[in-house]
Amino acid sequence: MEKFKLRVFRYDPTKDSEPYYKTYELPVEKGMTVLAALFKAKEEQDPTISFRYNCRAAICGSCAMRINGHATLACKVQITHLLDRYQTDTITIEPIGNVKPLKDLIYDMDWLIDKLKRIKPWFIPKEKPPVDGKEYRQDPYDHHRIDFASDCILCASCMSDCNALKANKEFLGPMVHSKAYRFAADTRDGAKKERLEAVLEDFNLEWCVRCMECTTRCPKEVQPYENIIRLRIMAAEEGYKTPGEIHAEIFEQDIYNRGLLNEMLLPMRQEGLLGAIKRAPFGIKMMLKGKVNYADFFGGHKIKRLEEVQKIYEVAKKKEKEVKIKLPQIMGVIYEDKRKTGKRANYAETGGKE
Amino acid sequence: MAELKYAFYTGCSAKGVAPELYNSTKLVAEKLGMELIELEAATCCGAGAVQEKDEFLALTINARNLALAEELGLDLLTICNTCTLMLREAKFKLDNDPELKNAVNEVLKEAGLEYKGTSEVTHFLWEVVDGVGLDRLKEMVVRPLKEFNIAPFYGCHIIRPPYLIGYEDPDNPKSIEMIIEAIGGNPVDHTARLACCGFHSFWSAEDKVTLKLTAMDAQSAKEEKADFMVTPCPLCHTQLDAMQEEAEERIGVNIGMPVLHLPQMIGLAIGLKPKELGLDKHIISTKDIIQKVA
Repeated sequence: MEKFKLRVFRYDPTKDSEPYYKTYELPVEKGMTVLAALFKAKEEQDPTISFRYNCRAAICGSCAMRINGHATLACKVQITHLLDRYQTDTITIEPIGNVKPLKDLIYDMDWLIDKLKRIKPWFIPKEKPPVDGKEYRQDPYDHHRIDFASDCILCASCMSDCNALKANKEFLGPMVHSKAYRFAADTRDGAKKERLEAVLEDFNLEWCVRCMECTTRCPKEVQPYENIIRLRIMAAEEGYKTPGEIHAEIFEQDIYNRGLLNEMLLPMRQEGLLGAIKRAPFGIKMMLKGKVNYADFFGGHKIKRLEEVQKIYEVAKKKEKEVKIKLPQIMGVIYEDKRKTGKRANYAETGGKE
Repeated sequence: MAELKYAFYTGCSAKGVAPELYNSTKLVAEKLGMELIELEAATCCGAGAVQEKDEFLALTINARNLALAEELGLDLLTICNTCTLMLREAKFKLDNDPELKNAVNEVLKEAGLEYKGTSEVTHFLWEVVDGVGLDRLKEMVVRPLKEFNIAPFYGCHIIRPPYLIGYEDPDNPKSIEMIIEAIGGNPVDHTARLACCGFHSFWSAEDKVTLKLTAMDAQSAKEEKADFMVTPCPLCHTQLDAMQEEAEERIGVNIGMPVLHLPQMIGLAIGLKPKELGLDKHIISTKDIIQKVA
């Protein structure tokens, strides 16, 4: 029978000075999930392997771990698909990233809970319950805006692979910001301002680097990244002057006035005169290397047909309040490219199927 | 063979801080037999900034950008990861929501334009692999980069999220390695291969996040003894090359890792000179590379 290697991160702080990896050889069985493989290794070869699990059906969110370097639910991916996807005979299992391992694949959850507490992840009603005794009601479109965000099972796969969290553990993280959006955007919730203040403290919401790991990892298609952006849009609508908001204004002005961004004058407009002075040595370095378009200091060149853009801009700005943009349905979707030549290593045909 | 003709969307960076990308793309494309018709009326894609303030405005300007390619009856080719993602995101939303498409077209009509959805959005990287083809690229190599260890740096927006990109497996992409091998170089695996350069939080979290990521990325390539990194994205390039010294300073490390744009690397292998490819326009010195290829 065909075999594969399950290489598992092992660590028991009461015994081991450092984590190590132990490899278990197992038969390749059709339909076997990573979680099932872990059970098999534990039952037949090593009863000391420790991991969290519960529902085995991608509902509870307990078994998130890093599989070949990327976080997902162990009960949701199959061994045969992974072997095919990575063209390998070895699958490496580690605890999720950005957390403190407690034992083997089990990690410290307190850190996540503490972060969640800061955004009060519960419903705070705006009004008293309806007098007819029925539940709080909501317009279907308003519900649609929080529908996907409500599906989060707090598995922390997104927190694991978040680049901003990797750089700074003070970042609240996609799971927490996404949860904040779920309540702040709920038309029945009364604590919108309080929630926005919490995520905007030290501009935390804008530490997100838009790396798209969270949305790519999420096993429930919660769209954490998109929720972060929706939360930023809410902050802009509420009139918060964040660095991101100033940045967006500069982009809008440049699109209207010239079409392309004026990168030379950006630092000054972003941070004011002091900022420009602070950035001067960098600017000089760029100039000496010929990376500066001098015309930009005097406004720079304009794109062709700019009047078209200005017309569109003005009409779009007037119209935007009345357009109800639906959230993208991304469940199982992989971009279909009509110009596919058949030669490309196409993800839609080879990978990603779980 | 299919005609390799594209509506060329330059983006802001190639027209601003990365002129070497614009120039090397044009030179390399010509040598590889790709015809680029520059969209001189295209605007900025919004870069995610406009998208997080006015979603409808961002969609509308990108619908116009796409309509410009449709006017020419060509697919739109970008040389920036973020442009790729923003344009594909707009296209995805417009193609999957008829009411939204109508609303956007009502605005475009004011300027005599219409978004139909007939042009695809593609990136230079993908067109080298699929349009030109690796066999043809191999045939054109006159100076194989055999003594170079090259660290690919994909950049987020050319692999994630798959519902908008979907060109290759976001967890196990191979396109840049395939190109490196085709031009005779040695691709090196490193921990930051699929990581983020930090660019998009620069103005909000320069010290807290951005420069830390930049340092980690360059360090990761150095640990694997790469001679240089290569990226298909000018924003990653600005971050990793132009901001690398700032990152070194803040983090207190010495890295000195040169970073090449994808077309620059290909150009060296197909006989273009370092000077015409703009290798002298980098902040981190490319002197060692220039000496080796001479």
